Amino acid sequence: MPTPKNYRINFTPSLLMSLVFIITIFFSLSLAQAQEGKLVITGSSTMAPLLLEIGKRFEAVHPDTRIDVQTGGSSRGIVDTVKGLADIGMASRALKTQEDHLFGSMVARDGIGIILHTANPIPELSNSQIQAIYTGKITNWQQVGGPDASITVVNKAQGRSTLDIFLEYFQLTNRDIRAHVVIGDNEQGIKTVAGNPYAIGYVSIGTAQYNVSHGLPIRLLPLQQIPASIDTVRTGLFPLSRPLTLVTNSQPTGLTKTFIEFAQSPQVHDLILQQYFVPLQN
Amino acid sequence: MLASSKTIGEKSTTLLVWTAATFIAIPFCWLVGDLLWHGWHHLSLNFVLAVPQNAGREGGIGPILVSTGLIVGVCMAVALPIGVGAALFLSEYTPHDQVSGRLVRGSLDVLAGVPSIIFGLFGNAFFCQTLELGFSILSGGLTLACMVLPILIRTVEESFRAIARDQRLSAAALGLSKKCSIQYILLPAAIPGILVGSILGLGRAMAETAALIFTSGYVDRMPTSLLDSGRALSIHIYDLAMNVAGGNPNAYATALVLVGLLMMINLIASRIAEQWTTKNQLPT
Repeated sequence: MPTPKNYRINFTPSLLMSLVFIITIFFSLSLAQAQEGKLVITGSSTMAPLLLEIGKRFEAVHPDTRIDVQTGGSSRGIVDTVKGLADIGMASRALKTQEDHLFGSMVARDGIGIILHTANPIPELSNSQIQAIYTGKITNWQQVGGPDASITVVNKAQGRSTLDIFLEYFQLTNRDIRAHVVIGDNEQGIKTVAGNPYAIGYVSIGTAQYNVSHGLPIRLLPLQQIPASIDTVRTGLFPLSRPLTLVTNSQPTGLTKTFIEFAQSPQVHDLILQQYFVPLQN
Repeated sequence: MLASSKTIGEKSTTLLVWTAATFIAIPFCWLVGDLLWHGWHHLSLNFVLAVPQNAGREGGIGPILVSTGLIVGVCMAVALPIGVGAALFLSEYTPHDQVSGRLVRGSLDVLAGVPSIIFGLFGNAFFCQTLELGFSILSGGLTLACMVLPILIRTVEESFRAIARDQRLSAAALGLSKKCSIQYILLPAAIPGILVGSILGLGRAMAETAALIFTSGYVDRMPTSLLDSGRALSIHIYDLAMNVAGGNPNAYATALVLVGLLMMINLIASRIAEQWTTKNQLPT
C-alpha cells in the first residue's frame, strides 16, 4: 500500500520573494548590457544563414568579438540600421535612391530565376509573356503554347527583396500582380512549384539549382536566351540578378569595418558557395 | 418499420462518428509517420549534442536545445508566481461575480485569444526595445510568460476551486488566518493542479515560433548568459525547412526531437492529473 504523499511543503512567501529577486537581477543586468566587440546584424532572410556562418568564422579569427545575426527581411534590416537597433543591415538588393544616406557594401551576388514544374513542357517565356502571366492577362498555359491548364501564379510577400527586384525588372507594381499563392522564403516557393505542375514562381537561382540537383521536379527557365545558372550570375550576364549588400549608417569604422572587409575577402568564398550564392570576382 | 429505421439512424450515427474519428487519426498518424520516416535515421546522440554547422544542414542541435530550455525556464520562473498569485486572487479573494474578478477573467480571455505573432511583436517592442533587453533569451522567455499566463491561471484557478468548501470553513473555524489557510491547506492541495497547469504552459511555450523569432532571435551559438540571443527548436525547424536549401533532413530530425519532448510533457501532465483525480476520490 502506497503511503499518502505529504504535500505539506513549506510554501513560505520567501519562494515567491526569491523569484521576484532573481527577475530584478535580470533587469538590472540588462542596464549594464553595452558589450564591447559585439555586432548585431539584422535583415534579409536569404542572407541570414550566410552571415551566420561568416560570423562564426569571424569569431574564430577574432576571439573577443560576437556577431549576432537576426532575420526578418531586407526592409527590416534597413529600418533597424537606420533606427540604430542593428550595427549592420542585410539587404538582398542594391540600395534605392531614397536610401542614399546609407552605405552599402556588396558581399556576393544572387540570381533570381523563373521556375516551372518539370511536367510543364514550356521551353521558354518572353519577358512580355511573363509580365502578362503575372498581371493576369494570360491565365492558361495554352495561351503560351502549353497544355490546357490554368496557371497558378506564385508571388513573393511584401518586403521581400526578391519581389522588389522581380517587379523592377519586369516594370510592374505589386498592385498589378494577380497572384494565387503568396510566399515568404525561397524554399517555400520551390516547394509550392514542385507540388503543382501548372505553377510558375521565381526564386534564388542557387537555391533552385541545389533543389534541381537533388531531384526536385522543378526547372529554371532561361531569360532572354540566357540560361539561368550560377555561372551566368557570376559573370553578370544573367539579367535578373541581385547584389547581397551589407548596409551601414555611414562609412564603416572599427569592428564594423573589420567585419565587412572580412565578409568581402576570399576567406569566406567557400561559405558563400556553400549557401548557393555567387562570390564576387576581384 | 420503425425499428429498422431506428437501427439505420443508429448505424449511420455510428458510421459518422467513426469517420470523424478516423479523419482525426489519419493526419496525426501521417504526420508522426512522416517525421519518423524522414527524421529517424538522422537522429543520434551526437545530433542532439553537437553544434549546428553550415547553417544547420550539418552538425546537431545542442546549443538550440540549451537555448530552448533556458527560454522555457525563464518563462516558467516568471509565469508561475504571477500565475499562482492571480489564480489565488480569482478564487479566494474575489466572489465569482465581482467586477474586479470579471475584469481579470475578461482580460485573460482576451490574452488567450491573441495570436502569438502579436505577442512576438509586443515582446520585440517592449522587452527588446523599451526595456533594452535586446534579442535575448530573457526577452523571449518574458514574452512567452505573457503568452502562457492565461492557460496557467485558468488551470490553477480551477484546482483551487476544486478544493472542498469544507476545508476552507474548517480552517476558518479553527481560527486560521487567510495567509495560513492558503499556505498550509490550499496551496498544498492545489500542487497537482499547479503542476499540470505549468506543464501545459511549458508545452505551449516550447512549441512556439512566432513569439520568439523577433524576441529571442536567430543566433545558434551556445548561450553563455540570459542576455544572449538564442534560437529555439521551432525556429530552427522553420529556418531549415523554409529558408535553407538542403536543410530538410535536419529539420525532420529536429522536429522529431521537439515532438518527442512535447509528447513526453503531455504524458507527464496526464499522469499527474490521473493520479490527482484518483487520489481525490479516496476518502482520507
